[in-house]
Amino acid sequence: MNAEGWYLYGVVEAGAPVAMDGEPAVELVTEGRLAGITSRVSLEEFDEAALVERLGDAVWLEENIRRHEQVLERVLASTTVLPCRFCTVYRTEADLRQFLSERQDALSSALAEVAGRVELGVKAFVDRERFAAGGAQENDRIRELTAQAAQSQAAQSQGGRAYLESRRLERLVGDERARFGQEAASELHRRLLDNAERGVLLDLQRPELSGRDEEMVLNSAYLVSDRPGFERELTALARELSERGLELELTGPWPPYNFVSEELRA
Amino acid sequence: MSSRDLEGYRSGGPAQLTDVLERVLDKGIVVAGDIQINLLDIELLTVKIRLLIASADKAKEMGIDWWQSDPFLSGSNGRGELDKRLRAIEEKVGLPTSDEES
Repeated sequence: MNAEGWYLYGVVEAGAPVAMDGEPAVELVTEGRLAGITSRVSLEEFDEAALVERLGDAVWLEENIRRHEQVLERVLASTTVLPCRFCTVYRTEADLRQFLSERQDALSSALAEVAGRVELGVKAFVDRERFAAGGAQENDRIRELTAQAAQSQAAQSQGGRAYLESRRLERLVGDERARFGQEAASELHRRLLDNAERGVLLDLQRPELSGRDEEMVLNSAYLVSDRPGFERELTALARELSERGLELELTGPWPPYNFVSEELRA
Repeated sequence: MSSRDLEGYRSGGPAQLTDVLERVLDKGIVVAGDIQINLLDIELLTVKIRLLIASADKAKEMGIDWWQSDPFLSGSNGRGELDKRLRAIEEKVGLPTSDEES
């Protein structure tokens, strides 16, 4: 009835220091040069048919996704880990061991590629108000119209002309903001790549996903070995661009989700 | 002064669920494991669940309420079933059914 399977969080080198105190449920399964970070799960909960239903349950999903990430972060604190995709489950220990031994070479070289490196995430946003007061004012036409709008406001003129001008200003600032966002994003990515081993662009998140009102212009991840150097560059970029309305966010260190070799992702 | 003010960028907060989802559901090793959600499902789910978790209420305000009619997410007792029952009742009491009205 209560059959158990093996949930695989990720793979580390055999013998790597993995401290899982306080996580009695997490076990290391060593096979040759590799070890799997696993825990036993009920197949009633994780079997394919049950899983499809669970995936529609936001509470279950959040809890389990967070757990997947937390276990890997614990491992990441002491060694390099190749993260598995959520819900990688084997029915038996023998199946799990077979995977580790069959894919040994590919897994080992993927581990070597990311050894001693971490994934850092960077997001950039443009704050509308700060851009209108900052970056937008570098445009002559916008400066002129802003001054005119201030005058009309001071004179309390509320005619159709003042309205049209304020609409025109709004549109111009919007166009400038889009241009600035694109330019800032490519400048950021280029300079951060110079301070990383590799980098990838991720999908931009809409405000309902990012949880921020500002418009996201960059969402990227970098594989970094020199973390202080990378963070220094990010600080320099923040200083250069913040007055014009750009805001930066750093996340991680993450297990190198975005830098697992293609061969192991397909 | 917090470190965030000193550095000029935000960092160090708890990971946003969207950022975790984006990695844990989309990336990492994909194993030809015994039990696996197939790739197509995952892609579809990621989009749906991100929206659902991020802000179901906000999305609903914007008129995005696919999950209510999606049996995959609302369970087998989704709206389809409700609509059917509603129509049956309407027919019984001699009202024009919802379908004809719209």
